[in-house]
Amino acid sequence: MPSLPAASTAELEARILDAALVAVARWGVTKTTVADVAKLAGCSRASIYRTFPGGKDHLFAALGSRELTAFFRRTGSLVDATDSLADALVVGLVEAARFVAGHEALQYVLEHEPDVVLPVLGFKQVDRLYRAAGIFARPHLERFVGPDDAAWAAEWTGRMVLSYLFTPSPGVDLTDAADASRLVEQFLLPAFTGAATGSATPSTDPAVPALQGS
Amino acid sequence: MGVPPDPRSQILAATVTCIGRYGLAKTTLEDVAREAVVSRATVYRHFAGGRDQLIGEAITWEVGRFFTRLGAHVDDAPDFITRLERGLIFAHRAVEEHEILQKVVETEPERLLPQLTVTGPLVLAVLRGYLEPLLEHERLRPGLELAEAADWLARNVLSFIVAQGHWDLTDPKAVRRLVRTQLLAGVLAEP
Repeated sequence: MPSLPAASTAELEARILDAALVAVARWGVTKTTVADVAKLAGCSRASIYRTFPGGKDHLFAALGSRELTAFFRRTGSLVDATDSLADALVVGLVEAARFVAGHEALQYVLEHEPDVVLPVLGFKQVDRLYRAAGIFARPHLERFVGPDDAAWAAEWTGRMVLSYLFTPSPGVDLTDAADASRLVEQFLLPAFTGAATGSATPSTDPAVPALQGS
Repeated sequence: MGVPPDPRSQILAATVTCIGRYGLAKTTLEDVAREAVVSRATVYRHFAGGRDQLIGEAITWEVGRFFTRLGAHVDDAPDFITRLERGLIFAHRAVEEHEILQKVVETEPERLLPQLTVTGPLVLAVLRGYLEPLLEHERLRPGLELAEAADWLARNVLSFIVAQGHWDLTDPKAVRRLVRTQLLAGVLAEP
């Protein structure tokens, strides 16, 4: 096993997670072992257990959380560069759809190990994802709509991304900005700008679930 | 009412019962045969693919039953908007109160959800087919095609059946707001 110079905890953690990402894209979650990840990361198995005391499950939970957070951050800065709600929603749809389509590890799991990823997208579990999206989106969308509408707009975007992911439409490709724009202009925007709209204040308190380590 | 169910439905119903009792992983053909009071050979005659086919078809059958009940519940709605509102409220409650579904979602989501994903396109097509003729009587926003409107609404209905997210679907006022100011804002000329 090659031993690299001592790295800071954060560096080591990032290196392990990068290695896990490569492993999943190659072999999937089920077949990947802590030893595989150690080998790819160029560290010892003990280092992995020191960094992720819960072992493999802990490692993959942290990986999922990191990938999602990275996606949210990147999308957030792109949304910040827009100057209308319409553009912001298009960016949200396109980035989310491209994130899923371009993420090799996620694609591997969706195709070969749906049992690994689908439980977090089903029924009440997916509410946690929607809530996380809402909490993340609020500061980025508040320039255009109130905080509750901002959270709801993000949730709606998420709903549409999942809908087209699991039941694709021959005529709509959300990785394509023109298609996403058509969807936003036709269906989403009128809900936030229509005269009859008022506020779409949700009646459920969007309490924050910790996505970390879940 | 005295009309005996056909043997195939009887076996599927027994399978759903067994799934509730033993779970998706542990339900066996023997369990199902016993529950349906038929022989194993009879089960095989109807489901030559054995256990996997039986489980898969039982899930699809139960999903079908769910939508039949949903359709019956909104059947006498006075108008399209009310139909949509009642449908969302009923569907949400029916999912919450479906004990077998809730149990399996809780204990074996990794087995159930891939199966449900397979039925997704079918369910969407059914919903679309249900909504399209109804929308024909509504005034759509200019430039919006009927098929596109039906597809969009079907996607949203399905999405809300799976999870209510921000909206309290037990609250008729919230559902009213969701349907009128959000889901239909881009669909009807005057929601």
